[in-house]
Amino acid sequence: MLWVALELPALPLQLAERARAEPLPLVVAEGPAQRPLVACANAAAHAAGVREGMAVAAAKALVADLRSIERDEAAEREALERLAGWAAQYTPAVSIEPAGLVLEVEGSVRLFGGLAKLLAALRAGVRALGLQATLGIAPTPLAARAFARAEARGIPVRSCTTIAELPARLADLPLFLLEWPGRTLEHLADLGIVRVKDALALPRAGFSQRFGPEALGVLDRLAGRVPDPRLPFVPPARYRARLELPAEAEGVEAILFPLKRLLAEMEGYLRGRGAGVQELDLVLEHGRRSHTSLVLSFATPEREAEFILSIARERLSRLELAAPTVGLRLVAERLQPFAPREGTWLPGREERAVGRARLVERLAARLGQGRVFGIALAEDHRPERGWKNPPAASSRARFDGGARPVWLLNRPQRLVAGESGPSLQGQLKLLAGPERIETGWWDGEPVSRDYFVAANAAGETVWIYRERRDPGAWWLHGVFA
Amino acid sequence: MNALVDPARFPGVWRAGDVDQAAPAGIASGHPRLDLELPGGGWPRAGLVEILHDGAGVGEVSLLLPALKAVAGEGRAVAWINPPHLPYAPALALAGVPLEACLVVRPASAEEALWSADQALRSGACGAALFWLPGKTDYAWLRRLQVAAEAGRTLAILFRSPSAAANATPAHLRVVVARREGLLQVSLPKRRGPPLVHPIALRLAA
Repeated sequence: MLWVALELPALPLQLAERARAEPLPLVVAEGPAQRPLVACANAAAHAAGVREGMAVAAAKALVADLRSIERDEAAEREALERLAGWAAQYTPAVSIEPAGLVLEVEGSVRLFGGLAKLLAALRAGVRALGLQATLGIAPTPLAARAFARAEARGIPVRSCTTIAELPARLADLPLFLLEWPGRTLEHLADLGIVRVKDALALPRAGFSQRFGPEALGVLDRLAGRVPDPRLPFVPPARYRARLELPAEAEGVEAILFPLKRLLAEMEGYLRGRGAGVQELDLVLEHGRRSHTSLVLSFATPEREAEFILSIARERLSRLELAAPTVGLRLVAERLQPFAPREGTWLPGREERAVGRARLVERLAARLGQGRVFGIALAEDHRPERGWKNPPAASSRARFDGGARPVWLLNRPQRLVAGESGPSLQGQLKLLAGPERIETGWWDGEPVSRDYFVAANAAGETVWIYRERRDPGAWWLHGVFA
Repeated sequence: MNALVDPARFPGVWRAGDVDQAAPAGIASGHPRLDLELPGGGWPRAGLVEILHDGAGVGEVSLLLPALKAVAGEGRAVAWINPPHLPYAPALALAGVPLEACLVVRPASAEEALWSADQALRSGACGAALFWLPGKTDYAWLRRLQVAAEAGRTLAILFRSPSAAANATPAHLRVVVARREGLLQVSLPKRRGPPLVHPIALRLAA
C-alpha cells in the first residue's frame, strides 16, 4: 500500500481566501460571540502582528481594515468532501481526515506515469482549486499524514515508499504531529519522550497501561505493525457546489475568477466518475432571496473547466446584474457518461463535429440562439421556400432546377421598369430565361412567375421575375454573387 | 545573382520575380488557369484572402464555390459570417457544397462580426470562413484575423469594396474580381510573387 496525505493547514482561512485574487488582511474567528478569538490569520494579518488565539477586538486594533469571518465547520466539511470528489479522479480510495485527505495510490502510480508525475498533478490541481496543501507519502496512512503535517510546519521530512524504511524516517519526528490529546503529550514530554523513536522504544505493555490502548494503537498503525483500513469516500450522485464570496462582487468580471475554481473542482469530480454534464445550473446569489440563474447546456457532455468557463463568460456578459453577487452555486442534476476525446492522435469526423458544436455553442452564447443557424433544402419549388434554417442541418431533400443565385433576397424587391424593360443601376440585359415556376396552388399562396437571369452594364448579375398576371412588373429576387 | 539565390538550394526562399511554387499546396480553385497563378497552386489552406469587388453579383462568391466544396468534403465546416443576404441552399447544392457543412452567423453589430470571425477562425472547426465586415476595418484587426486563420488552419475570405485597394493589408493574397461580357475577370494585385496586373478571364459554371 502506498498512501498520499493532503494536509490543508488553516483550512477555514483558505476557504475564505480562495474566492478572491489579491489577499487583504483577514482573520477567521471562533469561540463565544461576546469575545471571539482569532482561529487563523492570513499572511497580511500576520505581518501586521495578528496572532492565533488573540481576541478579534485586539486584532482589529492592530489592523484598521481587518476583515473578520466567522468559522463555519459545516462549510469546511463540505469543502473537504468536494476536494475528495475532485481527488477521486486519481484513485477510488480517497478518505476524509480532520484537516485533509488520504489517498491510496499504489494502483494509480503506473497509470499516471510514476509517483513523481502523480504528485506533480496533485500539487498543480490543488493550486488550481485555490487551495494550499502539503503532501506526505508513506506506506501507512498515519505516517503519510504525519509527514504532511510536518511539512506544513516546516519540519524537514523525507517521503518513504517501503515499510522497511519507515521506522528510520519516522524516528526523529516530534510526537505532537500525531494528534494525541494534549495531556498525553505533556505527560510524555515530562518523561523526556518527544520523538517518535522514543515512544516506539517504550515497552508495549507499560505504554498501553499508562497512556491507554488507543495511543498504542496509533503507534502500531503509524509504524505499519497492524493494518489501517479506511472506508473510501463515496461522492454524491449529483454535483452541487457553493462558494461564498468574501466580498460583494460588482459586475461579471469579478465572478469569473471564483467561478473558474468551482469549475476546476467539478472537472475533477467528473473525471473521477468518468462523467460529463450536458446541463449545468449556475446561480449567482445576490443576498437574501434574490438570485440570478443561468442554465448552460451543451451539445455533448462536457467537463473541461476552461471550456465551460468560456461559455459561461459569454452568457454572463450578456446579463445586466441588478445587484452585487455574494455567492455562486453550481448544480448538475444529471451526469452523463463522458466519451474521452483527449489523447486521440488522429482527429476523426467525430472530433471535428465536436469542434464545430463547440463553436456553435460559443457563438450562440454571445450572439443569441437565432443568430447562428444552418442551411437546408426544402421540398418546395417556390424559391422563397426552397431553403430553411434548421438549428442542426440535415436534410435529404434534393434540388433539381435551373441556375440559382448564391444570394436570395429576404423579400422580392420591385424593380424600376420602363418601355425597354427592367433596370437596376442601369438597363438590365436578359441573359437566360424564362424559367417558369408555377406552383403552390394547393395552399393558397400560388406562384406563377417567369424567372430570368439578367445583368447590368457593370456586370452585376441578378435573378429577376415577372408575375404572369402582371407582366409589366419586374421583381428582383436573387443575386448571382 | 540567380546563382547566388538558387531557390533549389534554399527551399524557404522565393524570388520576388517568381510565383512562390514552394508555398504549401493550396486548395484547387476549380479553375486550372487561376491555379497556375496562385502560390501553392490554389487558395491557401491557412491564411487570409481579400476579395475586392464592385457591387454585388459579379461572381465574387461563385468563384469560391469549388474550394468550399473541397473543404466541406474533408468534413470541415464552412462559416458564412455576416453575409449581405441569405446564402441560397439550392445554389450551394447545385455547386456540390454539402449544406450540412454550412453555418450562417448573423451578428448584430460590427464588433460582434469581428469577434465571430475571430472565433470561427481560431476554433479550427472551419475549413473555410467567408466574412463581410461592416464599416471600417483597421489593419490591426485584419492582422489578428490573419493570425487566427493560420492558427486554426482555415481559408479565411474577406469580401471588401475596391476602395480598400488603397490600404495596406496583412493578407498574403488580394484578389480583384469583376464581370465583363459574362466572364469573370480576376487579377491579383498582391500575392507571393509579382502582382498579376492583367486580369485573366474565367468562365463560371452557372
